[in-house]
Amino acid sequence: MSSHAYGNNGPSSRGVVTAEPVVAVTSLTKRFGAFVAVDDLTFALEAGTVTGFLGPNGAGKTTTLRVLLGLAEPTAGRALVFGRPYQELEQPARLAGAVLESNDFHPGRSGRDHLRVLALAADIPPSRVDEVLDLVGLVAPAARQVKTYSLGMRQRLGLAAALLGEPELLVLDEPANGLDPAGVHWLRTFLRSFADRGGTVLVASHALAEVAQTVDRVLIIDGGRLVASTSLEELAGRGQTLDDAYLQLTTEAAS
Amino acid sequence: MRAQLRSEFAKLRSTRTILGLSAAMLGLVLLVTLLHAFSLSTTDLASRSGQVRVLVEGGELVGALFAGLLGAMSLTGEFRHGTIRPTFLVTPRRGRVIAAKTVASTLTGFVLGLMATALAAAAGTLALAARGVTVQLDSGNYVVLLVGGAAAASLWAVIGLGLGAIVRNQVAAIVGLCVWLLFIENLLVDSLPGVSRYAPGVLGRAITGQQTGTLHTPALAALLLVLYAAAAAAAGWPAITRRDVD
Repeated sequence: MSSHAYGNNGPSSRGVVTAEPVVAVTSLTKRFGAFVAVDDLTFALEAGTVTGFLGPNGAGKTTTLRVLLGLAEPTAGRALVFGRPYQELEQPARLAGAVLESNDFHPGRSGRDHLRVLALAADIPPSRVDEVLDLVGLVAPAARQVKTYSLGMRQRLGLAAALLGEPELLVLDEPANGLDPAGVHWLRTFLRSFADRGGTVLVASHALAEVAQTVDRVLIIDGGRLVASTSLEELAGRGQTLDDAYLQLTTEAAS
Repeated sequence: MRAQLRSEFAKLRSTRTILGLSAAMLGLVLLVTLLHAFSLSTTDLASRSGQVRVLVEGGELVGALFAGLLGAMSLTGEFRHGTIRPTFLVTPRRGRVIAAKTVASTLTGFVLGLMATALAAAAGTLALAARGVTVQLDSGNYVVLLVGGAAAASLWAVIGLGLGAIVRNQVAAIVGLCVWLLFIENLLVDSLPGVSRYAPGVLGRAITGQQTGTLHTPALAALLLVLYAAAAAAAGWPAITRRDVD
């Protein structure tokens, strides 16, 4: 992280990129009819960092993630993962894992079968299914139908699916939703060690308190536009907390 | 695409949907076949065409309907439960997913159609015998019924898949298939018989050798239904590969 943050605080402070960024979003715009969900958004993520993606409801966070992961087409600009559009990655599960919704499961399918189905499609050996079940602590209920799972268990199953391919990038939308305090602590520790081993994490969230304890950097968007891109160190250097910066920069403060 | 195909079969095996569909289908086949066999007069049942009709109405039509539902649900179920997101995250080249679903639905539809026509043939033949009617059908009739019914169902599975790709909504796809096959096509048969020969449901019946005088021959009907299935797949392809997923 930048050690000369004091004199250079703006969102443009990270102009020098030495290696190819893991995620490169350039002038990304996504419109739905007349509504502009994402407006000329540019940011990059470097390996080994946890980045919080913050903004009020409807700010464009989820739309950005959907475009980044190939579920939606950009109206203009581009979003690259490891230098390529996500749809062009040959084995995407081995590079990137994502959890976009907390309940993307067939209620009548067991947790283990949910993972097996995805592992088969990704050519991942079935032994890895048991590994990720163990990793997220879902071995015992793995044979049960997902409809019997609590929200926290579903979050962990989604995370297990994202981890199947041992990816280098994790993209998570509100992952702490429904987790109990122990689960939140576990997730925080997990994401930290994932990044310390060189992984990259992008985590969209409302829960500022959760984010502040986990992330290195924050991207704050509002009305589809980037309003801040900064490290927590830089904020601290200015004597600001994440809450201060967030409330000052987003329209949520006005309401 | 082999990985995606294995995944599709694992999806089918890992829920009870296919069991429920099969059970409902077989129950309906039995009901329709027995109703026909025991409600028609013995003079209607004496002719070979009357006997084919008893076996086809229950077997082919119900088989085609349920195969269509299975094909549609293969996609609309994923949209309904949100599993389409993890599916496309793992396989962002969506054409591979659609291709795998087409193959899986075709094969599963074939098996459903075979089960439906086999049950209809067995139950219908026994019912005819129970009513004291001499069974006029030869082994050729049974072969056309079974193979044709299975082929029609496999093509209807692709039609259902294409419809599901376009509408995405599970209830809309299911209601649409039922209304078309059970209601609209019957209206067509009554009011516009010349046109109804080209309707996809009627073509399915023609494949099984029913009313060879008025309907198309099984071979021509099969060819025309293949064109319907190809058209449905061609319309469904861009609906899935080009449109955003919420």
